[in-house]
Amino acid sequence: MHDYTMPFGPQHPSLKEPINLALELDGNYITGVKMRFGYVHRGVEKIFEGKDVQKVLYVAERVCGICSYAHSSACTRAMEGILGLEAPTRVKLLRTIVAELERLHSHILWAGFGLHEIGFQSMFMLFWRERERVLDILEAITGGRVHHNYNKLGSVRYDLPKGCEELMRKNIAELEENLPGLIKEFEKNSVVLARFKKVGKISRKDAITYGLVGPMARGSGVKSDIRKIDPYEAYDDIRFNEILEEGGDAYARAKVRLTELGESISIIKQCMSLLPPKPAEKWKWPPIKTGEGFGRVEAPRGEDFHYYEIEDNIVTRGKIRTPTLANIMILEKMLIGAEIGDTPVIVASFDPCIGCMERTMVIDKGKKNWFTESEFRRKFCD
Amino acid sequence: MKRSPWISHYNASSCNGCDLEILACLTPRYDVERLGIVLRESPRHADILLVSGVVNMQNKDRLKRVYGQMAKDKYVIAIGACGISGGPFHEGWNMAGPVDKVIPVDMYVPGCPPRPESIINAIAKLLEGLE
Repeated sequence: MHDYTMPFGPQHPSLKEPINLALELDGNYITGVKMRFGYVHRGVEKIFEGKDVQKVLYVAERVCGICSYAHSSACTRAMEGILGLEAPTRVKLLRTIVAELERLHSHILWAGFGLHEIGFQSMFMLFWRERERVLDILEAITGGRVHHNYNKLGSVRYDLPKGCEELMRKNIAELEENLPGLIKEFEKNSVVLARFKKVGKISRKDAITYGLVGPMARGSGVKSDIRKIDPYEAYDDIRFNEILEEGGDAYARAKVRLTELGESISIIKQCMSLLPPKPAEKWKWPPIKTGEGFGRVEAPRGEDFHYYEIEDNIVTRGKIRTPTLANIMILEKMLIGAEIGDTPVIVASFDPCIGCMERTMVIDKGKKNWFTESEFRRKFCD
Repeated sequence: MKRSPWISHYNASSCNGCDLEILACLTPRYDVERLGIVLRESPRHADILLVSGVVNMQNKDRLKRVYGQMAKDKYVIAIGACGISGGPFHEGWNMAGPVDKVIPVDMYVPGCPPRPESIINAIAKLLEGLE
């Protein structure tokens, strides 16, 4: 059969965010992939520069809409490390609760979306109905459904409002009642098994070589949970398991995410039982310092790494390494040799967050299509 | 069109937040299909285009092309603070500007991100204005 190239994206039914994959096909099989990015690049790191540390928290959250709190807490962790601040216990527990709620909503969103890719619309709707319960709690605690702006340096913006704990107990009980049935259906359904099993295999060796993070690595049996490796906030006081699966295929990765739902619920319950009475001390303005530091947290998709240099509390350099940026490198290897019909499942099994991933962009102006930093600054920034 | 608008969605370098809320409109809590609103993948089938995010240079031509693909009697709703003014990204180095600098916009929905209710309200208001 004649070889041809098929474009996949940037506007495609199975993509919620724009990327462009030029798939070179030999019949039904993919023989080569050319990836083209830059549709969602906003230059967030450049926007950081020249901003006060408190304003940067606000912008850092806008890197991504799904794991917004993870970015904000990685930024907070970096800044608090530089400024030498330590949050009180209650604040740490509150932050942990919000982080785990975000993991819940992100994994449920993924489960719905993965099923939407294979045309299983009713399960997509059922999962997303459960997601609204999580968003209700998030909205009650932080005031926002998607972007929370919950962190302050050394504190959080609001304590738990009145009636919030009852709402949390009620909604979490409902989640505990409804989610196991949906997960069981996911594990037993023959359509799901046929589409997810043995698709997009990653061996343990490849997972280590490519430096995968999060559920992608854990699906291949590689330990990569930052909450265990480098505990932050309240995670060292809390008992939870790191979920590992050996399969390495799309199904194993889905299994990791779905099992983590139960772990997240158990972490939230433990945090709620540990919550001490309200802290008396008032929030103080952070000290003014110069220095550099990094913060890393376990976002729903894996390790999220923020690095900052500050000068008198003005950020002079920021660098973000997001989980999807670490994971996307293996996409080409996974797609080559796969069937064209499996492309949406393989891309979905990444749980890709393109908004996070777009950290660099090359603009083709003239013959030369790359720039050194000084050329770049001269050309675009001044 | 007046009774049952079909909408399509384009993510023009948005952070995902608005896109999530547009998707949430479909789900059982908000369920826009009961109002006759259907989310279509292809802009060729759609009457209303929802654009989220501030448009960057890479996206500019694609957005124009997607808009050009729509059939006549087309309307555009810009979703979120980024679509209106650029939001936190207005100073980004690779920005082509907010949505109305690239294609004509009929309605703006403020918020970062706007709630699903306000997105549905915007579509309802747009339909009201047509009558």
